[in-house]
Amino acid sequence: MEPIGIFILATICQFYSCAQNVSDSVERMQYASVAGEEYLEGEKIDTNLDDKVYFDFDKSTLDADDKNLLEQYLPAIRKAKIVRLEGHCDERGTREYNLALGERRALEVRDFLIIKGVSGKKIRVVSFGEERPIKNASNEKAWAENRRVEISLY
Amino acid sequence: MKRSLIILIFLSSNIFSLLEIEIIKGSDNLSKVAFVPFGIEENVNENYGEQISTLIEKNMLLFGEFENLDKAEMLSFPDSEEDFYYRDWKIMGVDYSVIGKINSVNALGNLNISYSLFNINRRIKILEGEIVGRENNIEGIAKIISNRIYEKITGLKGIFDTKLAYIVNSDAETYQMCISDIDGKNEQILFTSAAPIMSPDWSPDRKKIAYVSFENGLAEIFIQDLASGERESIQALGMTNSAPVWSPDGKSLALVVSFSGNPDIFSYSINNKRLVRLTNHYGIDTEPSWSPDSKKIIFTSDRSGSPQLYEINTQSKRKKRLTRDGNYNARGRYFPDGKSIFFVHGNDGNFQIATKKLSSRFIETLTSTSLDESPTISPNGNIIIYATKDGSKGYLGGITLDGKSRFSLPVKNGSVREPAWSPLFN
Repeated sequence: MEPIGIFILATICQFYSCAQNVSDSVERMQYASVAGEEYLEGEKIDTNLDDKVYFDFDKSTLDADDKNLLEQYLPAIRKAKIVRLEGHCDERGTREYNLALGERRALEVRDFLIIKGVSGKKIRVVSFGEERPIKNASNEKAWAENRRVEISLY
Repeated sequence: MKRSLIILIFLSSNIFSLLEIEIIKGSDNLSKVAFVPFGIEENVNENYGEQISTLIEKNMLLFGEFENLDKAEMLSFPDSEEDFYYRDWKIMGVDYSVIGKINSVNALGNLNISYSLFNINRRIKILEGEIVGRENNIEGIAKIISNRIYEKITGLKGIFDTKLAYIVNSDAETYQMCISDIDGKNEQILFTSAAPIMSPDWSPDRKKIAYVSFENGLAEIFIQDLASGERESIQALGMTNSAPVWSPDGKSLALVVSFSGNPDIFSYSINNKRLVRLTNHYGIDTEPSWSPDSKKIIFTSDRSGSPQLYEINTQSKRKKRLTRDGNYNARGRYFPDGKSIFFVHGNDGNFQIATKKLSSRFIETLTSTSLDESPTISPNGNIIIYATKDGSKGYLGGITLDGKSRFSLPVKNGSVREPAWSPLFN
Protein backbone atom coordinates (compact mmCIF):
# COMPACT_ATOMS: atom_id res chain seq x y z
CA MET A 1 0.00 0.00 0.00
CA GLU A 2 2.66 2.43 1.04
CA PRO A 3 4.81 2.23 -2.11
CA ILE A 4 1.83 3.14 -4.29
CA GLY A 5 0.91 6.07 -2.10
CA ILE A 6 4.44 7.35 -2.15
CA PHE A 7 4.69 6.81 -5.89
CA ILE A 8 1.65 9.03 -6.39
CA LEU A 9 3.13 11.59 -4.05
CA ALA A 10 6.46 11.54 -5.86
CA THR A 11 4.73 11.90 -9.23
CA ILE A 12 2.61 14.79 -7.99
CA CYS A 13 5.72 16.44 -6.54
CA GLN A 14 7.40 16.16 -9.87
CA PHE A 15 4.40 17.42 -11.78
CA TYR A 16 4.08 20.27 -9.33
CA SER A 17 7.65 21.41 -9.80
CA CYS A 18 7.23 21.28 -13.59
CA ALA A 19 4.00 23.22 -13.47
CA GLN A 20 5.78 25.99 -11.66
CA ASN A 21 7.60 27.41 -14.62
CA VAL A 22 6.35 30.87 -13.86
CA SER A 23 7.02 33.47 -16.47
CA ASP A 24 8.91 36.51 -15.32
CA SER A 25 6.34 39.21 -15.67
CA VAL A 26 8.65 42.15 -15.86
CA GLU A 27 6.78 45.37 -15.53
CA ARG A 28 8.60 48.58 -14.90
CA MET A 29 6.38 51.46 -14.03
CA GLN A 30 7.17 54.81 -12.60
CA TYR A 31 5.95 54.92 -9.04
CA ALA A 32 5.45 58.69 -9.08
CA SER A 33 1.73 58.43 -9.41
CA VAL A 34 -0.99 58.21 -6.82
CA ALA A 35 -4.18 56.27 -7.42
CA GLY A 36 -3.70 56.44 -11.17
CA GLU A 37 -2.94 60.16 -11.39
CA GLU A 38 0.28 60.66 -13.27
CA TYR A 39 2.48 63.65 -12.48
CA LEU A 40 4.99 64.74 -15.03
CA GLU A 41 8.29 65.91 -13.58
CA GLY A 42 8.01 69.20 -15.47
CA GLU A 43 4.80 70.19 -13.72
CA LYS A 44 6.30 70.07 -10.24
CA ILE A 45 6.35 73.51 -8.65
CA ASP A 46 9.69 74.67 -7.31
CA THR A 47 9.08 76.50 -4.02
CA ASN A 48 12.66 77.07 -2.89
CA LEU A 49 11.60 75.65 0.47
CA ASP A 50 12.91 72.55 2.22
CA ASP A 51 10.64 69.84 0.86
CA LYS A 52 10.78 67.62 3.94
CA VAL A 53 9.62 67.60 7.52
CA TYR A 54 11.25 65.18 9.96
CA PHE A 55 9.98 63.08 12.86
CA ASP A 56 11.17 61.29 16.01
CA PHE A 57 11.28 57.49 16.12
CA ASP A 58 7.79 55.94 16.22
CA LYS A 59 6.26 59.43 16.37
CA SER A 60 4.10 61.41 13.97
CA THR A 61 3.84 64.73 15.79
CA LEU A 62 4.93 68.00 14.18
CA ASP A 63 7.16 70.34 16.17
CA ALA A 64 7.23 74.14 15.99
CA ASP A 65 9.90 74.17 13.24
CA ASP A 66 7.87 71.79 11.09
CA LYS A 67 4.74 73.92 11.50
CA ASN A 68 6.72 77.03 10.69
CA LEU A 69 8.00 75.44 7.48
CA LEU A 70 4.51 74.26 6.48
CA GLU A 71 3.13 77.76 7.00
CA GLN A 72 5.74 79.11 4.57
CA TYR A 73 4.28 76.67 2.02
CA LEU A 74 0.76 78.09 2.25
CA PRO A 75 1.01 80.80 -0.46
CA ALA A 76 2.50 78.30 -2.95
CA ILE A 77 -0.06 75.64 -1.98
CA ARG A 78 -2.91 78.08 -2.73
CA LYS A 79 -1.63 78.31 -6.32
CA ALA A 80 -0.93 74.56 -6.68
CA LYS A 81 -3.40 72.06 -8.08
CA ILE A 82 -2.14 69.09 -6.11
CA VAL A 83 -0.20 68.71 -2.86
CA ARG A 84 1.50 65.35 -2.63
CA LEU A 85 2.56 64.18 0.83
CA GLU A 86 4.77 61.11 0.95
CA GLY A 87 5.36 59.56 4.38
CA HIS A 88 8.50 57.58 5.21
CA CYS A 89 10.09 55.79 8.18
CA ASP A 90 13.51 54.58 9.19
CA GLU A 91 14.38 50.91 8.93
CA ARG A 92 13.89 50.09 12.59
CA GLY A 93 10.87 48.08 13.66
CA THR A 94 8.55 46.14 11.39
CA ARG A 95 7.77 46.92 7.76
CA GLU A 96 3.99 46.78 7.84
CA TYR A 97 3.81 48.87 11.01
CA ASN A 98 6.13 51.39 9.37
CA LEU A 99 3.87 51.52 6.33
CA ALA A 100 1.03 52.60 8.63
CA LEU A 101 3.32 54.98 10.54
CA GLY A 102 4.44 56.67 7.30
CA GLU A 103 0.81 57.20 6.39
CA ARG A 104 0.14 58.61 9.87
CA ARG A 105 3.00 61.10 9.42
CA ALA A 106 1.70 62.26 6.04
CA LEU A 107 -1.80 62.60 7.53
CA GLU A 108 -0.45 64.72 10.36
CA VAL A 109 0.91 67.15 7.74
CA ARG A 110 -2.37 66.98 5.78
CA ASP A 111 -4.40 67.76 8.91
CA PHE A 112 -2.20 70.74 9.73
CA LEU A 113 -2.62 72.10 6.19
CA ILE A 114 -6.40 71.63 6.37
CA ILE A 115 -6.51 73.54 9.66
CA LYS A 116 -4.62 76.32 7.87
CA GLY A 117 -7.34 76.46 5.24
CA VAL A 118 -6.03 74.19 2.48
CA SER A 119 -8.73 72.16 0.76
CA GLY A 120 -8.42 68.45 1.58
CA LYS A 121 -9.40 67.68 -2.02
CA LYS A 122 -6.05 69.02 -3.22
CA ILE A 123 -4.04 66.74 -0.96
CA ARG A 124 -2.78 63.30 -1.95
CA VAL A 125 -1.28 61.13 0.77
CA VAL A 126 0.90 58.08 0.20
CA SER A 127 3.17 56.07 2.49
CA PHE A 128 6.22 54.10 1.50
CA GLY A 129 6.95 52.97 5.05
CA GLU A 130 10.65 52.08 5.30
CA GLU A 131 10.86 50.98 1.66
CA ARG A 132 12.35 54.19 0.19
CA PRO A 133 15.11 55.44 2.48
CA ILE A 134 17.14 58.50 1.49
CA LYS A 135 20.25 57.15 3.22
CA ASN A 136 20.75 53.41 3.09
CA ALA A 137 22.78 53.14 6.28
CA SER A 138 22.13 51.94 9.82
CA ASN A 139 23.02 54.87 12.07
CA GLU A 140 21.24 57.69 13.93
CA LYS A 141 22.02 60.28 11.25
CA ALA A 142 20.64 58.16 8.41
CA TRP A 143 17.58 57.18 10.46
CA ALA A 144 16.82 60.83 11.28
CA GLU A 145 16.96 61.74 7.58
CA ASN A 146 14.75 58.83 6.60
CA ARG A 147 11.91 59.63 9.07
CA ARG A 148 10.22 62.23 6.92
CA VAL A 149 7.28 63.49 4.94
CA GLU A 150 8.17 64.76 1.48
CA ILE A 151 6.07 67.60 0.17
CA SER A 152 5.64 68.22 -3.54
CA LEU A 153 3.36 70.66 -5.25
CA TYR A 154 2.01 70.29 -8.78
CA MET B 1 30.11 24.86 -28.02
CA LYS B 2 29.21 28.48 -28.52
CA ARG B 3 25.54 27.70 -28.14
CA SER B 4 25.95 25.89 -24.83
CA LEU B 5 27.97 28.80 -23.52
CA ILE B 6 25.14 31.21 -24.25
CA ILE B 7 22.68 28.95 -22.45
CA LEU B 8 25.01 28.83 -19.48
CA ILE B 9 25.21 32.60 -19.23
CA PHE B 10 21.45 32.86 -19.51
CA LEU B 11 20.97 30.35 -16.71
CA SER B 12 23.45 31.95 -14.40
CA SER B 13 21.87 35.37 -14.81
CA ASN B 14 18.57 33.80 -13.84
CA ILE B 15 20.06 32.33 -10.69
CA PHE B 16 20.05 35.65 -9.08
CA SER B 17 20.38 35.35 -5.37
CA LEU B 18 20.85 31.65 -4.66
CA LEU B 19 20.27 31.40 -0.94
CA GLU B 20 22.56 28.76 0.43
CA ILE B 21 22.42 27.92 4.09
CA GLU B 22 25.68 28.39 5.97
CA ILE B 23 25.78 26.95 9.47
CA ILE B 24 27.23 29.53 11.87
CA LYS B 25 27.12 27.61 15.10
CA GLY B 26 26.07 24.06 15.77
CA SER B 27 25.70 22.44 19.15
CA ASP B 28 28.52 20.19 20.43
CA ASN B 29 26.25 17.26 21.14
CA LEU B 30 24.30 16.68 17.96
CA SER B 31 23.08 13.22 17.02
CA LYS B 32 25.51 11.61 14.59
CA VAL B 33 24.00 9.98 11.53
CA ALA B 34 25.72 7.68 9.00
CA PHE B 35 24.33 7.95 5.47
CA VAL B 36 25.60 4.77 3.84
CA PRO B 37 25.82 4.81 0.03
CA PHE B 38 22.79 2.91 -1.26
CA GLY B 39 23.36 -0.43 -2.96
CA ILE B 40 22.22 -1.02 -6.53
CA GLU B 41 20.88 -3.99 -8.39
CA GLU B 42 21.92 -4.79 -11.95
CA ASN B 43 20.60 -2.56 -14.73
CA VAL B 44 20.53 0.44 -12.42
CA ASN B 45 22.87 3.35 -13.14
CA GLU B 46 25.69 2.78 -10.66
CA ASN B 47 25.92 6.47 -9.74
CA TYR B 48 22.41 6.52 -8.31
CA GLY B 49 23.37 4.64 -5.13
CA GLU B 50 25.80 7.26 -3.87
CA GLN B 51 23.78 10.11 -5.38
CA ILE B 52 20.65 9.36 -3.37
CA SER B 53 22.45 8.83 -0.04
CA THR B 54 24.39 12.08 -0.60
CA LEU B 55 21.15 13.97 -1.31
CA ILE B 56 19.54 12.57 1.86
CA GLU B 57 22.66 13.51 3.83
CA LYS B 58 22.61 17.09 2.48
CA ASN B 59 18.95 17.45 3.40
CA MET B 60 19.40 16.10 6.91
CA LEU B 61 22.42 18.36 7.56
CA LEU B 62 20.81 21.44 5.97
CA PHE B 63 19.88 23.30 9.17
CA GLY B 64 22.77 22.05 11.32
CA GLU B 65 20.54 19.76 13.37
CA PHE B 66 22.72 16.65 12.95
CA GLU B 67 26.32 15.73 12.29
CA ASN B 68 27.34 13.02 9.86
CA LEU B 69 29.90 10.24 9.73
CA ASP B 70 32.28 10.83 6.86
CA LYS B 71 32.12 8.08 4.21
CA ALA B 72 35.88 7.59 4.46
CA GLU B 73 35.46 6.58 8.10
CA MET B 74 32.78 3.96 7.48
CA LEU B 75 33.88 0.41 8.28
CA SER B 76 31.30 -1.23 6.05
CA PHE B 77 28.75 -0.31 3.37
CA PRO B 78 25.76 -2.54 4.11
CA ASP B 79 22.73 -2.24 1.81
CA SER B 80 20.53 -4.79 3.61
CA GLU B 81 19.72 -5.76 7.16
CA GLU B 82 21.66 -9.06 6.80
CA ASP B 83 24.91 -7.16 6.24
CA PHE B 84 24.27 -4.60 8.96
CA TYR B 85 26.40 -4.87 12.12
CA TYR B 86 25.63 -2.45 14.97
CA ARG B 87 29.21 -2.66 16.30
CA ASP B 88 30.57 -1.08 13.06
CA TRP B 89 28.58 2.06 13.87
CA LYS B 90 28.67 2.01 17.66
CA ILE B 91 32.47 2.11 17.56
CA MET B 92 32.36 5.24 15.39
CA GLY B 93 30.00 7.04 17.79
CA VAL B 94 27.08 6.90 15.40
CA ASP B 95 23.54 7.31 16.77
CA TYR B 96 21.57 6.48 13.60
CA SER B 97 22.43 4.75 10.32
CA VAL B 98 20.54 5.07 7.05
CA ILE B 99 20.97 2.30 4.50
CA GLY B 100 19.11 1.49 1.31
CA LYS B 101 19.07 -0.11 -2.07
CA ILE B 102 17.88 0.77 -5.55
CA ASN B 103 16.11 -2.45 -6.46
CA SER B 104 15.09 -1.86 -10.03
CA VAL B 105 14.40 0.56 -12.80
CA ASN B 106 11.59 -0.16 -15.25
CA ALA B 107 11.16 0.86 -18.89
CA LEU B 108 9.26 3.99 -17.86
CA GLY B 109 12.21 5.18 -15.77
CA ASN B 110 10.63 4.38 -12.40
CA LEU B 111 13.09 3.49 -9.67
CA ASN B 112 12.12 1.15 -6.86
CA ILE B 113 14.07 2.09 -3.75
CA SER B 114 14.02 0.53 -0.28
CA TYR B 115 15.58 2.13 2.78
CA SER B 116 16.01 1.49 6.51
CA LEU B 117 16.91 3.55 9.55
CA PHE B 118 18.64 1.98 12.55
CA ASN B 119 18.91 3.31 16.09
CA ILE B 120 22.43 2.20 17.03
CA ASN B 121 22.16 2.81 20.77
CA ARG B 122 18.94 0.84 21.09
CA ARG B 123 20.12 -1.70 18.47
CA ILE B 124 16.83 -1.73 16.56
CA LYS B 125 15.55 -0.90 13.11
CA ILE B 126 13.15 2.00 13.62
CA LEU B 127 12.04 2.63 10.05
CA GLU B 128 11.71 0.66 6.86
CA GLY B 129 10.22 1.94 3.65
CA GLU B 130 9.91 1.48 -0.05
CA ILE B 131 9.38 4.19 -2.62
CA VAL B 132 8.82 4.28 -6.35
CA GLY B 133 9.73 7.45 -8.14
CA ARG B 134 10.96 8.84 -11.42
CA GLU B 135 14.58 8.43 -12.38
CA ASN B 136 14.70 12.12 -13.36
CA ASN B 137 13.35 13.17 -9.96
CA ILE B 138 15.94 11.67 -7.63
CA GLU B 139 16.03 14.93 -5.67
CA GLY B 140 12.28 14.69 -5.06
CA ILE B 141 12.57 11.05 -3.96
CA ALA B 142 15.46 11.96 -1.62
CA LYS B 143 13.30 14.70 -0.06
CA ILE B 144 10.50 12.23 0.70
CA ILE B 145 12.93 9.72 2.25
CA SER B 146 14.64 12.54 4.22
CA ASN B 147 11.27 13.72 5.54
CA ARG B 148 10.43 10.23 6.81
CA ILE B 149 13.86 9.76 8.45
CA TYR B 150 13.71 13.23 10.03
CA GLU B 151 10.23 12.58 11.38
CA LYS B 152 11.25 9.21 12.84
CA ILE B 153 14.30 10.64 14.61
CA THR B 154 12.86 13.94 15.84
CA GLY B 155 9.13 13.29 16.08
CA LEU B 156 8.65 16.42 13.94
CA LYS B 157 7.38 16.63 10.37
CA GLY B 158 10.15 16.78 7.78
CA ILE B 159 10.32 20.07 5.88
CA PHE B 160 12.71 19.25 3.05
CA ASP B 161 10.07 19.74 0.33
CA THR B 162 9.04 23.16 1.61
CA LYS B 163 9.82 26.43 -0.15
CA LEU B 164 10.76 29.95 0.79
CA ALA B 165 9.37 33.17 -0.66
CA TYR B 166 11.42 36.35 -0.26
CA ILE B 167 12.04 39.75 -1.74
CA VAL B 168 15.33 40.61 -3.39
CA ASN B 169 16.39 44.22 -3.76
CA SER B 170 19.25 43.88 -6.22
CA ASP B 171 19.68 47.64 -6.54
CA ALA B 172 17.74 50.70 -5.42
CA GLU B 173 15.42 50.48 -8.42
CA THR B 174 14.84 46.73 -8.73
CA TYR B 175 12.59 44.69 -6.48
CA GLN B 176 11.94 41.01 -7.12
CA MET B 177 9.39 38.65 -5.65
CA CYS B 178 11.18 35.27 -5.56
CA ILE B 179 10.56 31.73 -4.43
CA SER B 180 12.98 28.83 -4.11
CA ASP B 181 13.18 25.38 -2.59
CA ILE B 182 14.16 25.55 1.07
CA ASP B 183 17.68 24.44 0.14
CA GLY B 184 18.01 27.44 -2.20
CA LYS B 185 17.57 25.43 -5.40
CA ASN B 186 15.10 26.15 -8.23
CA GLU B 187 14.85 29.86 -7.60
CA GLN B 188 12.10 31.54 -9.58
CA ILE B 189 11.40 35.22 -10.00
CA LEU B 190 7.63 35.72 -9.84
CA PHE B 191 7.56 39.44 -10.40
CA THR B 192 10.03 42.26 -10.96
CA SER B 193 9.22 45.91 -10.33
CA ALA B 194 10.91 49.28 -10.06
CA ALA B 195 8.67 50.05 -7.07
CA PRO B 196 8.78 48.34 -3.66
CA ILE B 197 7.28 44.89 -3.05
CA MET B 198 6.32 43.79 0.47
CA SER B 199 4.67 41.21 2.71
CA PRO B 200 4.62 37.92 0.76
CA ASP B 201 2.41 35.15 2.16
CA TRP B 202 1.73 31.63 0.82
CA SER B 203 -1.76 30.26 0.31
CA PRO B 204 -2.23 27.10 2.40
CA ASP B 205 -2.27 24.96 -0.80
CA ARG B 206 1.04 26.56 -1.91
CA LYS B 207 -0.47 27.48 -5.26
CA LYS B 208 -0.62 31.25 -4.77
CA ILE B 209 1.26 34.05 -3.08
CA ALA B 210 -0.31 37.27 -1.82
CA TYR B 211 1.89 40.34 -1.54
CA VAL B 212 1.90 44.12 -1.59
CA SER B 213 3.22 46.02 -4.59
CA PHE B 214 3.63 49.77 -5.07
CA GLU B 215 3.70 49.51 -8.88
CA ASN B 216 0.68 51.83 -9.18
CA GLY B 217 2.13 54.38 -6.79
CA LEU B 218 0.51 53.17 -3.58
CA ALA B 219 0.35 50.01 -1.50
CA GLU B 220 -1.91 47.52 -3.23
CA ILE B 221 -2.46 43.79 -2.57
CA PHE B 222 -1.93 41.28 -5.39
CA ILE B 223 -2.55 37.55 -5.53
CA GLN B 224 -0.28 35.71 -7.95
CA ASP B 225 -0.95 32.21 -9.20
CA LEU B 226 2.32 30.27 -9.29
CA ALA B 227 1.39 27.85 -12.08
CA SER B 228 0.10 30.45 -14.56
CA GLY B 229 2.05 33.47 -13.31
CA GLU B 230 -1.18 35.50 -13.47
CA ARG B 231 -1.54 38.36 -11.00
CA GLU B 232 -4.73 39.85 -9.74
CA SER B 233 -5.10 43.02 -7.71
CA ILE B 234 -7.64 42.67 -4.96
CA GLN B 235 -9.70 45.79 -5.28
CA ALA B 236 -10.41 46.51 -1.66
CA LEU B 237 -11.41 50.06 -0.91
CA GLY B 238 -9.47 52.66 1.02
CA MET B 239 -6.21 54.54 0.58
CA THR B 240 -3.83 51.78 1.52
CA ASN B 241 -4.28 48.03 1.45
CA SER B 242 -1.51 46.04 3.07
CA ALA B 243 -0.28 43.10 5.17
CA PRO B 244 -2.27 40.25 3.54
CA VAL B 245 -2.24 36.89 5.33
CA TRP B 246 -4.17 33.80 4.21
CA SER B 247 -6.66 32.15 6.52
CA PRO B 248 -5.87 28.47 7.30
CA ASP B 249 -8.73 27.34 4.98
CA GLY B 250 -7.40 29.50 2.14
CA LYS B 251 -10.77 31.21 1.60
CA SER B 252 -9.99 34.56 3.16
CA LEU B 253 -7.21 37.05 3.66
CA ALA B 254 -6.75 38.99 6.86
CA LEU B 255 -5.53 42.37 5.69
CA VAL B 256 -5.22 46.02 6.57
CA VAL B 257 -7.33 48.67 4.90
CA SER B 258 -6.82 52.30 5.66
CA PHE B 259 -10.01 54.24 5.02
CA SER B 260 -9.22 57.95 5.09
CA GLY B 261 -5.94 57.22 6.83
CA ASN B 262 -6.97 54.98 9.68
CA PRO B 263 -5.55 51.46 9.27
CA ASP B 264 -7.78 48.69 10.66
CA ILE B 265 -7.87 44.90 10.37
CA PHE B 266 -10.38 43.30 8.01
CA SER B 267 -11.18 39.82 6.80
CA TYR B 268 -11.54 39.68 3.02
CA SER B 269 -13.38 36.77 1.44
CA ILE B 270 -11.59 35.89 -1.80
CA ASN B 271 -14.60 34.37 -3.59
CA ASN B 272 -17.29 36.97 -2.93
CA LYS B 273 -14.84 39.85 -2.34
CA ARG B 274 -16.63 40.76 0.89
CA LEU B 275 -14.78 42.83 3.47
CA VAL B 276 -15.61 42.29 7.16
CA ARG B 277 -14.27 44.78 9.67
CA LEU B 278 -12.51 43.26 12.68
CA THR B 279 -11.03 46.30 14.41
CA ASN B 280 -12.15 49.90 14.60
CA HIS B 281 -9.74 52.11 16.46
CA TYR B 282 -8.16 55.48 15.72
CA GLY B 283 -4.71 53.99 16.46
CA ILE B 284 -2.65 51.97 14.00
CA ASP B 285 -3.91 48.38 13.72
CA THR B 286 -1.82 46.24 11.36
CA GLU B 287 0.14 42.99 10.83
CA PRO B 288 -2.72 40.52 11.27
CA SER B 289 -2.16 36.75 11.33
CA TRP B 290 -4.57 33.87 11.97
CA SER B 291 -4.33 31.33 14.76
CA PRO B 292 -3.97 27.77 13.39
CA ASP B 293 -7.60 27.00 14.42
CA SER B 294 -8.81 30.21 12.62
CA LYS B 295 -10.61 31.39 15.75
CA LYS B 296 -8.29 34.28 16.55
CA ILE B 297 -6.23 36.89 14.75
CA ILE B 298 -3.10 38.37 16.29
CA PHE B 299 -2.31 41.96 15.31
CA THR B 300 -0.12 44.94 16.17
CA SER B 301 -1.73 48.07 17.56
CA ASP B 302 -0.33 51.30 18.96
CA ARG B 303 -3.59 51.99 20.84
CA SER B 304 -1.68 51.93 24.14
CA GLY B 305 0.85 54.49 22.86
CA SER B 306 3.47 52.03 21.57
CA PRO B 307 3.19 49.06 19.22
CA GLN B 308 2.03 45.99 21.17
CA LEU B 309 0.46 42.67 20.22
CA TYR B 310 -3.23 41.92 20.68
CA GLU B 311 -5.47 39.08 19.62
CA ILE B 312 -9.08 39.28 18.57
CA ASN B 313 -11.64 36.49 18.61
CA THR B 314 -13.03 36.57 15.06
CA GLN B 315 -16.53 35.57 16.24
CA SER B 316 -17.07 37.48 19.49
CA LYS B 317 -14.69 40.31 18.41
CA ARG B 318 -13.35 40.29 21.95
CA LYS B 319 -9.79 41.60 22.18
CA LYS B 320 -6.95 40.71 24.49
CA ARG B 321 -3.56 42.37 24.93
CA LEU B 322 -0.73 39.83 24.64
CA THR B 323 2.49 41.80 25.32
CA ARG B 324 3.41 44.29 28.03
CA ASP B 325 7.20 44.15 28.35
CA GLY B 326 9.12 46.74 26.35
CA ASN B 327 7.90 49.55 24.11
CA TYR B 328 7.92 47.67 20.79
CA ASN B 329 6.34 44.26 20.21
CA ALA B 330 5.10 43.83 16.65
CA ARG B 331 4.28 41.54 13.71
CA GLY B 332 3.24 38.54 15.76
CA ARG B 333 2.59 35.09 14.36
CA TYR B 334 1.31 31.96 16.11
CA PHE B 335 3.37 28.79 16.37
CA PRO B 336 1.80 25.86 14.46
CA ASP B 337 0.50 24.45 17.78
CA GLY B 338 -1.20 27.78 18.56
CA LYS B 339 0.22 27.85 22.09
CA SER B 340 3.04 30.35 21.60
CA ILE B 341 3.72 33.41 19.46
CA PHE B 342 6.85 34.81 17.83
CA PHE B 343 7.36 38.45 16.94
CA VAL B 344 9.75 41.42 16.72
CA HIS B 345 10.73 42.75 20.14
CA GLY B 346 12.33 46.16 20.53
CA ASN B 347 14.61 46.55 23.51
CA ASP B 348 17.15 49.36 24.12
CA GLY B 349 17.12 50.31 20.46
CA ASN B 350 17.67 46.73 19.30
CA PHE B 351 15.00 44.89 17.36
CA GLN B 352 15.19 41.14 17.82
CA ILE B 353 13.10 38.04 17.26
CA ALA B 354 11.36 36.86 20.40
CA THR B 355 8.87 34.21 21.48
CA LYS B 356 6.30 34.06 24.22
CA LYS B 357 4.02 31.31 25.49
CA LEU B 358 0.44 32.58 25.53
CA SER B 359 0.10 31.11 29.03
CA SER B 360 3.12 33.03 30.35
CA ARG B 361 3.99 36.71 30.57
CA PHE B 362 7.70 36.22 29.87
CA ILE B 363 9.31 37.10 26.57
CA GLU B 364 12.29 35.09 25.36
CA THR B 365 14.64 36.75 22.89
CA LEU B 366 16.10 34.40 20.28
CA THR B 367 18.44 36.57 18.21
CA SER B 368 21.31 38.86 19.04
CA THR B 369 21.65 41.19 16.05
CA SER B 370 19.98 44.61 16.20
CA LEU B 371 17.78 45.00 13.10
CA ASP B 372 15.96 41.68 12.99
CA GLU B 373 12.52 41.52 11.45
CA SER B 374 9.98 39.51 9.41
CA PRO B 375 10.34 36.16 11.23
CA THR B 376 8.78 33.10 9.58
CA ILE B 377 8.48 29.63 11.10
CA SER B 378 8.96 26.19 9.56
CA PRO B 379 5.67 24.28 9.30
CA ASN B 380 6.93 21.82 11.94
CA GLY B 381 7.45 24.70 14.37
CA ASN B 382 11.16 24.03 14.93
CA ILE B 383 13.02 26.64 12.87
CA ILE B 384 12.65 30.39 12.46
CA ILE B 385 14.12 32.27 9.50
CA TYR B 386 14.19 36.07 9.75
CA ALA B 387 15.60 39.10 7.96
CA THR B 388 18.50 41.07 9.36
CA LYS B 389 21.21 43.44 8.16
CA ASP B 390 24.95 43.64 7.85
CA GLY B 391 25.79 47.24 7.02
CA SER B 392 23.45 48.25 4.23
CA LYS B 393 23.06 44.66 3.01
CA GLY B 394 20.06 42.64 4.07
CA TYR B 395 20.40 38.89 4.54
CA LEU B 396 18.43 36.10 6.16
CA GLY B 397 19.32 34.43 9.41
CA GLY B 398 17.94 31.27 10.95
CA ILE B 399 17.77 29.53 14.28
CA THR B 400 16.46 26.18 15.46
CA LEU B 401 14.23 26.59 18.48
CA ASP B 402 15.85 23.69 20.32
CA GLY B 403 19.03 25.81 20.33
CA LYS B 404 20.99 23.26 18.29
CA SER B 405 21.91 25.53 15.40
CA ARG B 406 22.21 29.04 14.05
CA PHE B 407 22.64 29.64 10.34
CA SER B 408 22.52 32.35 7.70
CA LEU B 409 21.29 32.46 4.12
CA PRO B 410 23.49 35.09 2.49
CA VAL B 411 22.43 36.46 -0.86
CA LYS B 412 24.90 36.65 -3.75
CA ASN B 413 23.70 39.98 -5.14
CA GLY B 414 21.91 42.83 -3.42
CA SER B 415 19.73 42.53 -0.36
CA VAL B 416 17.21 39.89 0.57
CA ARG B 417 14.36 40.29 3.03
CA GLU B 418 10.87 39.29 4.13
CA PRO B 419 11.22 35.51 4.07
CA ALA B 420 7.98 33.53 4.09
CA TRP B 421 8.13 29.79 4.70
CA SER B 422 5.68 27.74 2.63
CA PRO B 423 3.25 25.32 4.25
CA LEU B 424 3.94 21.58 3.97
CA PHE B 425 3.16 19.98 0.64
CA ASN B 426 -0.12 18.05 0.94
